[in-house]
Amino acid sequence: MAWKRICEATEVAENSVKKFEVDGVPILVVNYGAGFRAIPPICPHMEEPLEESGVVARCVLTCTKHLWAWNLQTLEMQGETERPLKTYDIKHENGVILADIDGELTYDFDSEDDMDDDFFK
Amino acid sequence: MQITVQAKSGELTFDCGQHESILYAGLRQGVPLPFECATGTCGTCRARVMAGDIDVQWKQAPGAARLKPDKGDILMCQTRARSDCVVRVPSELAIADAARPAARRGIIRAIRRLTKDVAHFDLHLSAPMSFQAGQFVVIEAAGVAGGRAYSMVNFAADCERLELLIKRKPGGRFGDWLFDELQGEPAVQVFGPLGRAVFRPAEDRNIACIAGGSGIAGMMAILDHAVQADHFRSHAGALYFGVRTLADAFYLEQLSRYVAASHGNLDVVIALSDEAAATPLHAAFPLLKLASGMVHAVAASEMAARDRDVLTYVAGPPVMVDSTIRSLIAGGAAIKDIRYDKFG
Repeated sequence: MAWKRICEATEVAENSVKKFEVDGVPILVVNYGAGFRAIPPICPHMEEPLEESGVVARCVLTCTKHLWAWNLQTLEMQGETERPLKTYDIKHENGVILADIDGELTYDFDSEDDMDDDFFK
Repeated sequence: MQITVQAKSGELTFDCGQHESILYAGLRQGVPLPFECATGTCGTCRARVMAGDIDVQWKQAPGAARLKPDKGDILMCQTRARSDCVVRVPSELAIADAARPAARRGIIRAIRRLTKDVAHFDLHLSAPMSFQAGQFVVIEAAGVAGGRAYSMVNFAADCERLELLIKRKPGGRFGDWLFDELQGEPAVQVFGPLGRAVFRPAEDRNIACIAGGSGIAGMMAILDHAVQADHFRSHAGALYFGVRTLADAFYLEQLSRYVAASHGNLDVVIALSDEAAATPLHAAFPLLKLASGMVHAVAASEMAARDRDVLTYVAGPPVMVDSTIRSLIAGGAAIKDIRYDKFG
């Protein structure tokens, strides 16, 4: 358990994303109006940088490259999205956003790309 | 040769000839392989060769940039089989609901220049083709490497004469050939129809089409079909057509005819990115509106003002498509209500 300060809540405008680095770990903070999320800064589909391709509207984060999307409240996958978002636990204290960072969260692109045998089961 | 495709949903085998890509061989036999552009740019048809000999046609294809060739990764649209092969695809095999694509021969006729860098031509097919408005074909000409995708401009059932549109780009080999070198009425190879951004009147939706430059081609087919089906008697339609200057706009007579046949329910707006619109309506074609600005911004502000349930089609250069998708999503559009085929 290591709560670390990411940013002031006011640094990320409503319905937008912003990338920060905390102790060498890149983190994307998403402000969806009703709350915040802290996630790895790349799309789990094809490693698109979400700071450029991510759009937040109506509580949904969409990677505009291939339209993978997630509900930010429930983390439910939308449409043809095939992989869940990973998230850091966060808390919002005195206008500051803190995340529980215990090493960098990453997506395993290799096993997807490698198309291992267990991928077909 | 036999190609066996392994996917999450199971395994399928189909025949593949010596001179066709694995993708085209599968598609023409009704195998629902994953793909979007079919010309090497998007990367959607990536697969891994588990066994067999292959021959990669375009090794520098932009869609292959993220592949791992040492592990046997290929783009199926750029790869021919040299023996029986086993390939894996990372997605499920979707169910094909459109007409199966097939290889045909075509003859290019009646090329006419529309602007300084855009031309319209007819392609007479060796056998009629059924397609849905919004779809495209891939053309290969002898002596010009690689295939180019062109969306149909017209719509008809069992169509023998496709109308297509080409924009000449600096260094574009096919454009140079068609504009400058072409003699007589040359024969080309045609594969299609392809593409998922299709219009079906039976879906019973209001539609909006956002096109940049030559992306207008497929939108013309959508409007053609909509007018033939009298879709605008009971549904609203809008076309936002982005060009640099008024002199770069074309198909204005045909667009005026579509507006005239729409019972007042089709709005056509020409968005000029590099000059101010001198009048709110086109001086020579007063059924067409003019606006100043990038087409994605013009469309976003007009669509926001309408607040209507609408299915939106997007086509044009990759940068224009990306900005349009962004502004549609940011404006609250649901992803299921946006249709486009990715070429970049």
